[in-house]
Amino acid sequence: MADKAEKRPLDEAELDRLFEAARSAAPAPSDALLARVMAEAEAEMPVAHVAPAPPARRRGWLAGLIAGVGGWPAAAGLVGAAVTGVAIGVASPQALERLSGGYLSPGGYALENLMPSYAGMLGEG
Amino acid sequence: MALDALSDVSDEALLVAYGNGDRAAARALTLRLTPRVLGYAARILGGDRAEAEDVAQEAMLRLWRQAPAWRQGEAKVTTWLYRVVTNLCTDRLRKRRGQDLDSIPEPEDDRPGAEAGLQETARARALDAALQTLPERQRQAVVLRHIEGFSNPEIAEVMDIGVEAVESLTARGKRALAAELAPRRAELGYEDG
Repeated sequence: MADKAEKRPLDEAELDRLFEAARSAAPAPSDALLARVMAEAEAEMPVAHVAPAPPARRRGWLAGLIAGVGGWPAAAGLVGAAVTGVAIGVASPQALERLSGGYLSPGGYALENLMPSYAGMLGEG
Repeated sequence: MALDALSDVSDEALLVAYGNGDRAAARALTLRLTPRVLGYAARILGGDRAEAEDVAQEAMLRLWRQAPAWRQGEAKVTTWLYRVVTNLCTDRLRKRRGQDLDSIPEPEDDRPGAEAGLQETARARALDAALQTLPERQRQAVVLRHIEGFSNPEIAEVMDIGVEAVESLTARGKRALAAELAPRRAELGYEDG
């Protein structure tokens, strides 16, 4: 390398062109290498996350009853109907007696005679 | 292949997706990162293709194992991966120093020939040969900066040194390369100085 000292070192631009050539000459991985890397990726891959089902809770008897009639909306309907029935019974409106005619009071009984305790208890009738 | 659909997705997001069991993310990362780590390892190891492939495969395996613990925003995948490759290469070079020189295979050259441009090929070969004359740390810093395109702070992270040390290593490395390649000006297509 006697002439090494006599030569001018490469300048920045000349070196840059070498780096550029090196970048475009990077070795391409073989298909076999890519296949090995992919096989290891699959072997090491964590199992896909699936949200675990919440643990089944024990239901109380009331919750079971409500669910049995169709849930809270259905239960609300049932309660509403029951309250209406009681109100009609207690008030025993005339219209209802006329409507039912002799069927409800064939022997001259008024509707309140069927449940006197209600009438007495509530002080009505 | 749905690679196009994932080309805009960052390495970090792909790694998190892989950690959640996404196979397409694994494929995209394999095709994106394996060529890069192979090229880097080949340059640092001096062209031993088989050894560079081993290092690339080992580095990728470590990446897959790291995935479940990966948190986005903590680090760049490439910085982490190049650090692994750098350390693996250092270990190999250390072992090689204790070996008989004759037992080391000659560098293989499978670069494209004349059709890709003889001049470019000659330049790449000359640079690779000159890189092998540099001390290992200078070689790493120069390759990371000027061929792999990392910034100085990234190189500092990869090499586990300060930014000033990186600047010093790359400056000395480039000066040494410029002097080493001076006698080969004609071969490189440069005018004699």
